[in-house]
Amino acid sequence: MSQKPIELILARNLLASLTTPAFLVDDHGSLVFYNEAAATLVGRRFEETGQMAASDWTEQFGPADHEGRPVSWEDLPLTKALFAGRAIHSKMHLKVLDGTLHEIEVSALPIFATGGTRGAMAIFWPVEDGPQAGGPN
Amino acid sequence: MPSPGPETVRYGGNTSCVQVTLDDGTLLILDAGTGIRGMGIALAAEAARVHIIVTHLHLDHIQGLMFFAPAFRSESEITIWGPASPEASLRDRIARYISAPLSPVEVRELPCEVAFRDCPETEWEIGTAHLRAASVTHRGPTLGYRITADDCSIAYIPDHEPAIGASLENDEPDWISGFDLARGASLLVHDCQYTDAEYADHVGWGHSGLSDTLTFARRTEVERLLLFHHDPMHSDDFLDTFYGSALEGWAELGGDPVALELATERREIELSAATDPLGSV
Repeated sequence: MSQKPIELILARNLLASLTTPAFLVDDHGSLVFYNEAAATLVGRRFEETGQMAASDWTEQFGPADHEGRPVSWEDLPLTKALFAGRAIHSKMHLKVLDGTLHEIEVSALPIFATGGTRGAMAIFWPVEDGPQAGGPN
Repeated sequence: MPSPGPETVRYGGNTSCVQVTLDDGTLLILDAGTGIRGMGIALAAEAARVHIIVTHLHLDHIQGLMFFAPAFRSESEITIWGPASPEASLRDRIARYISAPLSPVEVRELPCEVAFRDCPETEWEIGTAHLRAASVTHRGPTLGYRITADDCSIAYIPDHEPAIGASLENDEPDWISGFDLARGASLLVHDCQYTDAEYADHVGWGHSGLSDTLTFARRTEVERLLLFHHDPMHSDDFLDTFYGSALEGWAELGGDPVALELATERREIELSAATDPLGSV
């Protein structure tokens, strides 16, 4: 496997340190990392899944709209951030291991560097849980 | 910053500068710290074509440029390679140092022929050497380099903190900063500024502690390791003790003590493959 760009390495280092759930994708949209907080939400640790192609992680984690309809990969905040090159914020749902849907808020940011687009990261909050531990009150 | 004085006469008190001479005579200079002053004096006048390859633009890596004798000879052709930045060109960023009020001379006034090249984060050739650059973990745009000629390779990563937020023991290689640059190199010249105790107070400063450097070198399976970028606060006597600790840690990781050295000013290392020597460092 080839060396990841330094911007993705640094992003992973940051996200791994956060207690806020977060996903990281590369410039192709493949899921290259999600942190422990995200693992709690989706029910599987990243070490179990490993890197996942866009179609795989979209299917497994089942992003859905507010009516439970599947959100296509192209319409995900992460994908939009990656290819539109701008920050995106939206509400959606995630399907967890037991099949239940959790409403979340997502903020996605593209990662640009001098070498071009490196990927994108998304940080999300379960709506029903309120503010994250250590976050603003 | 340089730290000349009686406490540093054995290991040296200059800032980063390494000369690499290839078999075909091509001269590569890695970083332009204060060590480049003596090197410029020592270089014969016929060494007119020089490549200066800068990892980043922190002052300790460029402050020797204004004291590099070949830059003041009209027959010299100097190419300066360095990291790109969205902020400004390499020339403009270096010109901030080689200009008033920090310098009496401007870049455009240098009598030599000087060119500036933003390093591609890819591969390119200089003389018989194949060079590769990659961004590495440090503060600000910073590159590490791998220079390969014939079957020998030097990985030069003088300012590097690969352990920040990462596990050098357990993370996959592709997630470790600088791993591909260093992998299996004949010689790794790597940041080792701090003791482990000192590193605890300097996390995020962009430099490595001893254990992390040793672990990085073992994981990347380099043949030889040169501990580089000594802290300017460390005296020769301190470094003697530091080297003892390094040897102990290296042995615990299964390293051959012969393969571990502490960088010493003017030290020459000849690298040669079984059939064809690379040159000297």
